[in-house]
Amino acid sequence: MFSRKVTSLSELQGVAKELISEFQEERVFAFYGKMGAGKTTFIQSVCRALGSGDNVTSPTFALINEYNTADMESIFHFDFYRIKELEEAFDLGYEDYIYSGSYCLIEWPEMIDPLLPDTIVEVKIEVQEDESRIITAEKKH
Amino acid sequence: MSEKRITILGIESSCDDTSAAVIQNELILSNVVANQKVHEEFGGVVPELASRAHQQNIIPVVDLAIKRAGIDRTDIDAVAFTRGPGLLGSLLVGTSFAKGFSLSLDIPLIEVNHLQGHVLALFIRENGIEYNPPKFPFLCLLVSGGNSQIILVRDYLNMEVIGQTIDDAAGEAFDKCAKVMGLPYPGGPHVDRLAKEGDPNRFEFSRPKIPGLDYSFSGLKTNFLYFLRDQIKENENFVEENKADLCASLQHTIIEILLSKLKRAAKETGIKEITIAGGVSANSGLRNALKNNAAKYGWNLIIPKFEYTMDNAAMIAISGYYKYLKQEFTAQDTVPFARTQL
Repeated sequence: MFSRKVTSLSELQGVAKELISEFQEERVFAFYGKMGAGKTTFIQSVCRALGSGDNVTSPTFALINEYNTADMESIFHFDFYRIKELEEAFDLGYEDYIYSGSYCLIEWPEMIDPLLPDTIVEVKIEVQEDESRIITAEKKH
Repeated sequence: MSEKRITILGIESSCDDTSAAVIQNELILSNVVANQKVHEEFGGVVPELASRAHQQNIIPVVDLAIKRAGIDRTDIDAVAFTRGPGLLGSLLVGTSFAKGFSLSLDIPLIEVNHLQGHVLALFIRENGIEYNPPKFPFLCLLVSGGNSQIILVRDYLNMEVIGQTIDDAAGEAFDKCAKVMGLPYPGGPHVDRLAKEGDPNRFEFSRPKIPGLDYSFSGLKTNFLYFLRDQIKENENFVEENKADLCASLQHTIIEILLSKLKRAAKETGIKEITIAGGVSANSGLRNALKNNAAKYGWNLIIPKFEYTMDNAAMIAISGYYKYLKQEFTAQDTVPFARTQL
């Protein structure tokens, strides 16, 4: 299983690159971790690794942010933190994004668990007692 | 000289709320945001779980906005809509409606950037209320659940983002820290209320060291969370026993962060005309801090009516008016954009 220990922010970029190359065929990545674990921060690095120079910010309010890579490919950054009902995900037309074939990076995927596609990469960020992070990733079918 | 009055219908559907407004020159005639009451007046009900809620709201909301304005739809000179940034699905509802409306009445279509709308909301005139719009050039601090930006406004249609958040918005820092203290969502107003009884200097939280005029609130959020985690280990009632001081200290830190960059922007640009927009502008601590700084630095501070600081169609209608004056119209083949740009 993909597993990395991160003790400083400067290591995130390298881990993001490794994550992308480990799961080259995959497009939907679900990021699990408590509030403050660093989901948005890690996704910033993943977007850099995918070649986007865009300002990557938290989509908690906007629900979905869209960025572009240097080749003008879309990256969708979701945040289901404030979703209360699955219906709200349908209201946003989440399926148009998730099945688009573009990279989809999802924060708070547990809120829409039944709607996640059959094949995703589960990325878990766990905060250790010393505030370092263990980042693991696994393909789920 | 009598001037022709320009009547604009504005439509906003970029995120959660569907809204429609009618404006005549700068004067607001109606501003309707979808809620239960709108549906009652229209003779329908709001479904508990409205699928594609905007689609269900848009016709009642526009209908009511036109009725409340006391005009006939044939009086409308142009229809303005939010093209972006926002959720594509939501934007599409407003965009499609506006296109249809424009075609059927043979009137111009005008696209508006949502962020520009927040700024131009400062120019809305209301009957019976003193009209006090800002003078160009001015700085606008736009703070909401989704935005934290400093915008340099040179003219109605000439503005530039000179500072913005690189991670979380200020409103999000309020909401998420409130959540870990067990306050309801959105937590901003609760923090504001509790902060009034607390000591803003009791706790110190980390402040970002970000160059230039950009903001960062992610580090503060994490610092606040881990501070609570560590304190709760010592005393499980820590939050309950210190809630007012926690809220006051948190709010104080967020406001200091917002103001430090705003002060810097004012100094660097030499601009003393300062305004605020977005939902967080309702925060009483932020308002007071702005007033204190205005007195200290000789700013002319303009705080708009709360109704127009939230997402609403009045701000889209007024923006449409200024674009109408410049004849900046939009073609029927325009598509919404999701990404932030100004």
